[in-house]
Amino acid sequence: MKTSGPTIVTHLPAKQSKLHRGLFLDEIKEMVGQARRPRLIVDLTSSGGIKAETIDLLLECVEEVEHADGRVAVAATPEAAVVLELTQLTSVLDLFPSVSDATDETPLMVQPPSADGMSPMAA
Amino acid sequence: MELGALLVTQGAALRNPERQEMSTWCSVWPVVGKTVAERWVDRVRSMRVNTVSVVDRCVSVSDRVQRMVEWAKEGVEQILVIGMGSYAEVDLPDLLHFHHEGGHRITRVFDPEGPLGISLLDRSAVLRDAAARIRTVPPSSRYDFNGYVTRLSSTLAYRKLVQDALEGRCDIRPSGFPTSENVWIDPTAVVHPSVTIHGPCYVGAHSRLNAGVTVSGYSTIEENCEIDLGTSLECASILPNTYLAPGLHLRNAVVDGTHLEHLDRNVTVDLGPIALAARRNSISRENGL
Repeated sequence: MKTSGPTIVTHLPAKQSKLHRGLFLDEIKEMVGQARRPRLIVDLTSSGGIKAETIDLLLECVEEVEHADGRVAVAATPEAAVVLELTQLTSVLDLFPSVSDATDETPLMVQPPSADGMSPMAA
Repeated sequence: MELGALLVTQGAALRNPERQEMSTWCSVWPVVGKTVAERWVDRVRSMRVNTVSVVDRCVSVSDRVQRMVEWAKEGVEQILVIGMGSYAEVDLPDLLHFHHEGGHRITRVFDPEGPLGISLLDRSAVLRDAAARIRTVPPSSRYDFNGYVTRLSSTLAYRKLVQDALEGRCDIRPSGFPTSENVWIDPTAVVHPSVTIHGPCYVGAHSRLNAGVTVSGYSTIEENCEIDLGTSLECASILPNTYLAPGLHLRNAVVDGTHLEHLDRNVTVDLGPIALAARRNSISRENGL
């Protein structure tokens, strides 16, 4: 599915404590709240294996972005892609092997890093 | 004439649930109910061969030769050495006949692609220069075989053998009883009434398929597995003592405990840390056998 709105590239927070997850989701809410039909690209290409918390956080991203009629894409390593397919997350988000493949679909709007450098980040 | 058979397996240690090695093809993976090694043992035993030994490849060559020398000294006249690098439906009586009629001391089995790792040795060949044989390959005669062969060098090859067995393209027959749709279910398996199975597929002994599970595309579920609610399997093999979590969609993969090998993406993933799969206690361990 393609969206006509802005594209935002982000990484998930390195630390996935409740606090960090909350801060991350607040920033996502703020960004997608200002946009119409945004496209959020989550870059998992530099992360190792996917944790259970990663899956939960991706689902929360999907929920937030869908409120703005947008779509989430994930750039993932083959290992991460296997887990996303296995858990059927690929039915609610788009999967790409790299950020450039994901951004090729729409014009890119790079979001500057936040003050603590945690998220979101430029690709 | 007394015959002995020495089967050399590969990577038996991977079957040990205490070990956490990455899963790649291993000769102790069962194919619709029995391992290739077990099928070889059945075949040689059907020829009334009583001297049969199964050793892992990690056992040194000199130890293997020593075992054959001991057999030869005990009166075994011919020794069949079978490596588990391939599954080949060699006509063993014909091989013995060829070997005997030609007066060969060593006969090696080939198919059009090369050697199959199956040899027949005379007692004299085993006893003579046993130590030197470890270092050099002695001259041998060649037995050409044109029947069914699958070289078991990879997980992909393992899946091919599984499919061939379910399709009846080789002599391997699944254990259990087939339904009209080529679905074999062991009598001890528990399958919820809501489970959908599109054959050919196989469900092994003591396995449990919970509500809403879907199985298709030549999938096999070996002994003592549990597939939890709503999970679907397509072109997948689940190896013994494996638990799969609810709501998964598994395609073109082999799962051994927590290790998933994806055949399209050619990667292995450990599902244990994300609790999507687990290793179940084997039935024999629970029963203390």
